[in-house]
Amino acid sequence: MAQAYSRRRFRLSPSLANRLTIGFAIAFALLTGMAVIGVARFLDQRQEFEDATARSYQLEIEARTRLAEGRRPEAARAEVLAQQRRRRTLRDEIAGDTRDTALLVGAGLIAGLTGAALLFSGLIASMRRPLEDLVEASGRLAEGDLETRVKVGGLSETAALGAAFNEMAAELQRRAGERDQLDRMRDEFVLTASHELRSPLTSVQGFAELLMLEREMLTTKQRETVEVILDNTRHLVRLIDDLLDLARSDAGRLAIEPQPTEVESLIEDATRTMRAQFEARGQRLHEEIEPGLPQIEADGDRIRQVLVNLLTNANEYCQEEAETEVKARRMGGEVEIAVSDNGPGIPAQQLEHIFERFTRGDAGETQRVAGTGLGLAISKSLVELHGGAIEAESTVGAGSTFRFRLPAAASRERAEVV
Amino acid sequence: MARILVGDDSETILLLLRTRLEMEGHEVETAADGQEIVDAVHRAVAPPDLLLLDAMMPRKSGIEALRELRAAGIETPVLIVSAHTVAGDDSADRADLEIAGYVNKPIDFDQLFRKIKELTS
Repeated sequence: MAQAYSRRRFRLSPSLANRLTIGFAIAFALLTGMAVIGVARFLDQRQEFEDATARSYQLEIEARTRLAEGRRPEAARAEVLAQQRRRRTLRDEIAGDTRDTALLVGAGLIAGLTGAALLFSGLIASMRRPLEDLVEASGRLAEGDLETRVKVGGLSETAALGAAFNEMAAELQRRAGERDQLDRMRDEFVLTASHELRSPLTSVQGFAELLMLEREMLTTKQRETVEVILDNTRHLVRLIDDLLDLARSDAGRLAIEPQPTEVESLIEDATRTMRAQFEARGQRLHEEIEPGLPQIEADGDRIRQVLVNLLTNANEYCQEEAETEVKARRMGGEVEIAVSDNGPGIPAQQLEHIFERFTRGDAGETQRVAGTGLGLAISKSLVELHGGAIEAESTVGAGSTFRFRLPAAASRERAEVV
Repeated sequence: MARILVGDDSETILLLLRTRLEMEGHEVETAADGQEIVDAVHRAVAPPDLLLLDAMMPRKSGIEALRELRAAGIETPVLIVSAHTVAGDDSADRADLEIAGYVNKPIDFDQLFRKIKELTS
């Protein structure tokens, strides 16, 4: 459709094919014409020369006859000499004429070829500019500048190409706009949904907690029931929080407020939050923090969230009485924090996708473990938002290690130098 | 212990907050929207010790009510309860309106009680 449109629009403008055909025809006619005129003129001059020479010989023979017969010998001798001179003159003339003709034809050919060369270089030049523009515009488009358009004009072929390019760019821009709008609607929806879900959840969780405050008055069965409600409410809240974080991250609106932060208090906060869960499963949780660590440039709440995510995984996926260790050490201008466990480990093909959404341990495990499958994806986004990196390694049967590095805070570095 | 005015448009959340706060020994008054909050503060003989306001309420939001109260010279400390997870979404408001802190829904009551203690002792 685009092509038909372009053709209709540019039918009357000069086409490269037409110009080439006309150019060739003109050059061919010019060159042929020059050659024909040159040869004709040469033959004509040659004929004249031969006629004149023949006539001259005739006159000389007649003069010599008169001389032999002894009639007016003086005049006859003069005539013979005159005719001989005349033939020399004729020879000189024909040589000059032939040279002139050759020069004329040569000049004509050179002029024709020069004209043709000029014509074709003009054609090439008229194509080069729009083609260069197109190449440059394609580059800009590929880099994501969807506003890019080229000027349409000149030869119909390049004009059609330019118009097709512009249509393509406009279409890309339209689709990108639609996609952005859909993304915005989705983000908006997730934000609103998470907001609206939070109020009823606050009530459910709040009243269940209220019941638990009176646990001595409940039967065992009732208490277990309330615990189930609370567990599931917490899970739902976590899921909503995670979905909200991911939606924000996708929209580029997952904001962090990094400031110089003590690594030790961050780790202690996280382990304090998690200690009860570890103890509940008879697991041990150690810390090993290198002394004299620099502060890190981090949003404390967000990095605590990453640590809690990693510790929650270790807690939930490891068998009872497993050990988990949080280690922090300096690595050049960065601080590395590692969470290692001696749990069941992660098979290689799962480890590859471990930071993707909704990737979870194998089916048997996920029945038991109440994760959302979003924690590691969010942790990765958060660490990367800080300008850091996170990685995982694991040996099946021996345990897993998740480690991330964050930049040290500049202010502390300066303080140390002073 | 403290006299607390709670504003939220959800009756169940008001009931929850009233119950938990009264169990902690606080004296609680409730309001269902921003206008009721403003009226309750002006009606009281002495302003409450603390305002616990939902950020989003119909008719007049907690933030709008607070703006009016601050303009009227009421300096009662305020905690904002919000369903948005990022605390202090609006840091300009926070400084202007002297908001003492934010509480996210679902409410972590231990944390809430700690904040109330800090603000009213």
